Amino acid sequence: MRKIVLEVSLSIILSFLIGYIMLILMGYDATRVFSIVIREGLSNPTYLMMRSTPLILTALAFSIPSSVGVFNIGGEGQFYLGALASLIIAYTTGNSLLSTITGMAAGGLLSALIAVIKVKRGVNEVVTSIMFNWMIYFSLLYLISTYLFDPLMPYQSVSVPKNARIEYLTIQSVSIPMIFPIAVLTSLAMYFLMYHSALGYRMRVVGISPKAARYAGFDPESSIIISMIIGGAMSGLGGSLLILGHTHTIDSTMSGLYGMGFAGIGAGLLGRNNPIGIIFSSIFLSMLLIGGEAAELRARVPTELADTLIGMIVIVLSAPYIVRILRVRR
Amino acid sequence: MKLVEMRGITKVYPDGVVALKGVDFEVSEGEIHGLLGENGAGKTTLMRILYGEIKQTSGEIIFSGKAVSFKGPWDSMRSGISMVYQKFSLVPTISVIENFYLYLSSFQRGVGIEEVRRRAEEMMERLKFRVPLEANVEDLAVGVQQRVEIIKVLLSKPKLIIFDEPTSVLTPIESRELFRTLRELKEDGITIIFITHKLKEVKEITDRVTILRKGERVGTYETPSVSEEELAIMMVGRGIVPTKRSVSSPGREVMRVEDLWVRDDRGLNAVKGVSFELHEGEILGIAGVQGNGQLELAEALAGVRRAERGRIIMDGRDITDLPAEARYREGLAYIPDSRAVGLVLEMNLMENSILTSLRDFLGRGGRIIWPLASDRAREVIERFNIVGSLRSQVKYLSGGNQQRLLVGREIIKAPKVLIVSEPTQGLDVAATEFIRSTLLKFREEGRSIILISSDLDEIFELCDRIAVIYEGKFVGIGRNEDLTLERLGLLMGGVNA
Repeated sequence: MRKIVLEVSLSIILSFLIGYIMLILMGYDATRVFSIVIREGLSNPTYLMMRSTPLILTALAFSIPSSVGVFNIGGEGQFYLGALASLIIAYTTGNSLLSTITGMAAGGLLSALIAVIKVKRGVNEVVTSIMFNWMIYFSLLYLISTYLFDPLMPYQSVSVPKNARIEYLTIQSVSIPMIFPIAVLTSLAMYFLMYHSALGYRMRVVGISPKAARYAGFDPESSIIISMIIGGAMSGLGGSLLILGHTHTIDSTMSGLYGMGFAGIGAGLLGRNNPIGIIFSSIFLSMLLIGGEAAELRARVPTELADTLIGMIVIVLSAPYIVRILRVRR
Repeated sequence: MKLVEMRGITKVYPDGVVALKGVDFEVSEGEIHGLLGENGAGKTTLMRILYGEIKQTSGEIIFSGKAVSFKGPWDSMRSGISMVYQKFSLVPTISVIENFYLYLSSFQRGVGIEEVRRRAEEMMERLKFRVPLEANVEDLAVGVQQRVEIIKVLLSKPKLIIFDEPTSVLTPIESRELFRTLRELKEDGITIIFITHKLKEVKEITDRVTILRKGERVGTYETPSVSEEELAIMMVGRGIVPTKRSVSSPGREVMRVEDLWVRDDRGLNAVKGVSFELHEGEILGIAGVQGNGQLELAEALAGVRRAERGRIIMDGRDITDLPAEARYREGLAYIPDSRAVGLVLEMNLMENSILTSLRDFLGRGGRIIWPLASDRAREVIERFNIVGSLRSQVKYLSGGNQQRLLVGREIIKAPKVLIVSEPTQGLDVAATEFIRSTLLKFREEGRSIILISSDLDEIFELCDRIAVIYEGKFVGIGRNEDLTLERLGLLMGGVNA
């Protein structure tokens, strides 16, 4: 446990160092940029919680299948679908609970399809996931600009009605978007599932050692499918909460949704696939993203800075694995 | 004249393990020199250093009178040192002659394949045995593969050949053939280092012997001047007390297998119509050279692999169609030959102790009751003398401790029938004795064991009845007292004597 915390902190420090040097080479005042990123990233706790919420869920969408040995790169598409399903139900029924459940079901159904194709037909999940991601992306664009657009504001979709929105809770002048505690509680539930239930135990055994799982009589196929369904549902819930608690609508370029599923992969890796670690890694990465946007405005640093830093962290995080492989070779 | 002199060799691995502590080792030209020691004594490490595969931490090597420091195996091969590995270094999917070419061309530039073929023919002529040059290596029997390996290293005209436990994969007959070849090589003036942990082999084939124990040299002796008992004491550090098996009369039948057919992963029949019965308080041994259907048989009995045909009846109940988990609940337990299968190495000891009885540790709603699991883990640790804590990942335990955990976890469930495969493979003497006496004690309690092993000493020491499996069939079955080592050896080699 201590080793993991150490590894993660080291990789963050190292990637910051690399980012710092990069900024200097590009001719920026690196110290100033970093102070903007961190200060602005943390300046508005409410906004930080808001931004972290979908990331926590897409990180879970990656990590839970990942602990069973499946690479769920389809979090992006599952996220879109969850958002869409949620929007439609919220718009038509005005019921937030029903809308959330539908969002989860939509995401779960999509990933179940990917898992079944993998298990029954042997098609690599990465290939099908990427295809579904794009199919859903363009279908959604079409649907929003053709049927679901708001007649008064045609650059965005119809909105979630007031009574279906998930609002804020204000405690001592800090207002907490209610979607955030929902995400955190979901993460804790996932931790319990993975480490304190028979289902999670089986899934972990399948992920670590398929041979041992077969010996113990655990069915790897059902573990793969269940983990994918849970993952997809998490992504769907992420899309749902974003719509109900934050944006209330989907803009017709989908810029508010785009990339959230992929960012979740980074957050999942940084959290070492541990649901509790993921809460922290998602908050941390959201801080970088918010801070990066601020730095773009204030220091004219390219918006890709935050992305580069996150990418760097993920690369550096894999360094311990490389060291371990080299050590075994010797 | 001395061919090899290694002085004060010390090796510390990056993880801090001290494999060798100032070992001196000498080999004279033209002799067969035995290198004797238990698993983990440092035999292979010492030879890999000589061969240039790994570097010593300190100490010097003199070969043919010159101080040397090899940069890698290719470098030592040029000086005339070759090694025949326990697991051969052949490419299984290409032909024998291509393997020869691959090997020779890696350190002798400009050798053509026709030249390699000519030399191989010449070599086979001299050794008086042939291998099919055009056949793919993977299609050959293990004994033949070893001959391929021997011819391969001879092609480079070595002065010294190191054999790393060459008999571990061979039947008794094949071993005898190998020894004949070794003597011929010696007559041709080739020096041989023979790594082994088998005392009989040392006596049979070597001129001199060096004994290693825990990374230190115990001594070097003229082989005829030391007895097997003396060698054993030097190797282990104390005398070996063979485990005593009491003779008992078997009880009622607890398991019955009728005409069992099982396929391997490639879809070929690996078990072909095996039938037997097992009684209360009985150990049934299944002897055989590894790879004759033992794995498939064990897995089919455990329910991990599907049986194509036949019936398995336990306690009067047909369990042929039950999956593994259900069979384990019915009182069957299975200890596979590989610890990487029987344990989840990247999980901790506590998590591993419930792997095959998960349901006994569940509360409402499929919740795992970890305090219960930790009680069980503590019990296994205590009863089976495991050095390790509940939270330590199993991969950090020593092989012996891993095996105690695996065996202990299954035995503590007090199953009616225990299927155990190669339980002492790769263990030191102390751990081996512990496992064997544990199995015997389990039998004394009136339980039944199916013991699959390629170690004939183990089979004779533990089993009441012995069956021999060859190419998926039982080629003989009888009471321990009625069988001899020779007869068993012949049956294992497919000779129906």
